Amino acid sequence: MNRNESRRPLVTLACIACLAVALPGAEASAAPQPAAQEDGQWPMPAKDYAATRYSKLTQITRANAAGLRPVWTFSTGVLGGHEGQPLVVNNTMYVVTPWPNVLYAFDLTKEGYPLRWKYRPTVDPNALGIACCDSVNRGAFYADGRIFYNLLDGHTVAIDAQTGREIWKTRIADVAAGETTPMAPLVVKDRVIVGASGGEFGIDGWVKALDAASGKIVWTGHNIGPDTDMLIHPDSFKAPYGEGADQGANTWRDASWKTGGAPVWGWISYDPDLDLIFYGTGNPSPYNPEQRAGDNKWSNSVLARRPGDGTLVWAYQFTPHDNWDYDSTGAMVLADVKVDGHAVKALVHFDKNGFAYVLERQTGKLLKAGSFATLNWATAIDLASGRPMLDPSKQTGISKGNVKGICPSLEGGVSPASPPAYSPRLGLFYTSANNFCMDYQATRSSYLKGTPYIGVNSPYIAGPGGHLGALIAWDAGAARKVWEIDEPFPSWSGVLATAGDVVFYGTLDGWFKSVDATTGKVLSKFKVGSGVVGNPITFRGPDGKQYVCVYAGIGGDWALLAGDTRSDDPADVRPPIDFMKQIARHTSQGGMIWIFGL
Amino acid sequence: MTTTSLLKVAGVIGCAVLGSCARQQAAAPAPSPATPPAIHYEAHIYPGGRQPDGPALSNPVRGDANAAKNGALLFTAMNCDGCHGGDAGGWVGPSLADGRWRYGGADEEIFSSIYFGRPKGMPAFGTVLGAPAIWNIVVYLKSLPAPPDVPTETWE
Repeated sequence: MNRNESRRPLVTLACIACLAVALPGAEASAAPQPAAQEDGQWPMPAKDYAATRYSKLTQITRANAAGLRPVWTFSTGVLGGHEGQPLVVNNTMYVVTPWPNVLYAFDLTKEGYPLRWKYRPTVDPNALGIACCDSVNRGAFYADGRIFYNLLDGHTVAIDAQTGREIWKTRIADVAAGETTPMAPLVVKDRVIVGASGGEFGIDGWVKALDAASGKIVWTGHNIGPDTDMLIHPDSFKAPYGEGADQGANTWRDASWKTGGAPVWGWISYDPDLDLIFYGTGNPSPYNPEQRAGDNKWSNSVLARRPGDGTLVWAYQFTPHDNWDYDSTGAMVLADVKVDGHAVKALVHFDKNGFAYVLERQTGKLLKAGSFATLNWATAIDLASGRPMLDPSKQTGISKGNVKGICPSLEGGVSPASPPAYSPRLGLFYTSANNFCMDYQATRSSYLKGTPYIGVNSPYIAGPGGHLGALIAWDAGAARKVWEIDEPFPSWSGVLATAGDVVFYGTLDGWFKSVDATTGKVLSKFKVGSGVVGNPITFRGPDGKQYVCVYAGIGGDWALLAGDTRSDDPADVRPPIDFMKQIARHTSQGGMIWIFGL
Repeated sequence: MTTTSLLKVAGVIGCAVLGSCARQQAAAPAPSPATPPAIHYEAHIYPGGRQPDGPALSNPVRGDANAAKNGALLFTAMNCDGCHGGDAGGWVGPSLADGRWRYGGADEEIFSSIYFGRPKGMPAFGTVLGAPAIWNIVVYLKSLPAPPDVPTETWE
């Protein structure tokens, strides 16, 4: 049945629901003001270790953003979903493509930004069949004259940022066991932290640290399993909720953790004061929850580790005993947030399960949680126990049959691939959000190494209002939506916020928009040729001007769901997906880099 | 479970659905160095118009309704649907229900795709499944109602 109501004209679809809510301006002044200097670069996926995706550049403002126009484009020559973002360092822009993971280095000092070099690694094409959700890559990391990134087939490389020469290449994951590596590394001091996807293949999820100089694997910490696997040492670990040894093994009946998933395919942040890295883990495998009774720790969790030796310090599970594929691999943004009048060193996370969380980042204690997307699987998160208060009618499993109308869908209230931004100036978070629901019929799944281990049929349906996506501004301390822009299609772009009080994002039907960060008013929009699933960045060019850059290139989950947006394979022709019949009318595949300026 | 025991489980599934495991082993193709492989890798262009010689594969259960039913069970049990989607309609792997084939849609071509695998991630299921089980999957896929080949999608 087609419940997609997206036949309305685009102009009205792009309409703005500016909720008449005052900005938390008073609190903003209490937030830490950014350091005076802005170098205008973008050296890591989220610009900074705190994962804010916030730039202090101020040339582009809400007063002049209407004048933004495209100033440069480049085709990457690759058709997979262009998630992730470029880096800009020392007047060079670095772009990693989806498989086959070409690394381009553009010289921003010359007219037309010609390439300084490009690096074309060998990448096993078999990874394409093991990656759950298209051939995506979520970006690179610059540190000490080197570019670090993951190849889809389970390798990490270090490339000389000047010459493009490969310094080392390390095998970190096993494609034959269902592991692929689209995530972006984080480099802390001399450690390159990496993880692997494979929640659809029953992997034993982990993070690893490589020595930045040599590429040698220094430590491996699993996300599930006994304490020894998880690098939990005596007295090193204190979970704010739940005590005891070996929780990562004891909370899985029949040792089901051994094929329990908990992959790492999102983002990692770092607090230098606490010397902790924070990352989210993905779903437990398989999707049929009755094959893995128990809480299934530490799937769907945030884990805090010491980057030096991997020691696990604390963990908090967002969705115990996941019934819905609610991965928690979305960004963990580190910000000072005022909760109930108290300023706290917080970790803020928008989860696939539809709740936005504020945790105390030293301990993992839950301070606040509120729904930012349509949800009905739980009524609230209990602050005392840290656990969701479940709606029993929305629990799934083979014995439950086909459970109808669960919100959000297993695509999430937001995709972890779509990271939020945080403006410390305004004290607001900005995130893509999805508004669709699902039926969930669990089926028995057999583990067979190297093949999918899933066990669900789950069609999607539009949520209330008929729009499938949105961009929202969120006051985390109050768990309150400040404004919202509805989008006709699911919203899969990351967000950029700037000190000019402008927010940037793209849409699945291929619009790149700038928005007044205080009101949600759209200031400019431009059709970029393919749906946006990447994350905008901003930088100061060698000419001293501020530019904004974003990838176009629909893909990721949308290469699967909207198979009719593909035109590259005459032997694979699919009808439109029933809940979104219009998307292929507005976009098809295509990898393009766009730069906008005034 | 160890990988070995899991493979056994998968084998048992195949055997339970299809009967004798010994028969699977016996029926697996056994190419010798002297025999060119019976694989039409994809629809080739033959220089000079002459197709290379090779032994022919033939489907022992072509069109058999029971085989199609077994094949449908195997398609789920062996996690084929995890990549090719429910009812083989396409997911990360291509649709097998659109009447179009990357590597040829003849029974023996589909057999070769499953038995030996294909580039870009199609695993070689020959060892776990054996030839008879694969022929059942072939019959299942060929039994899917082929949509009329309408290459035009319209929105007006």
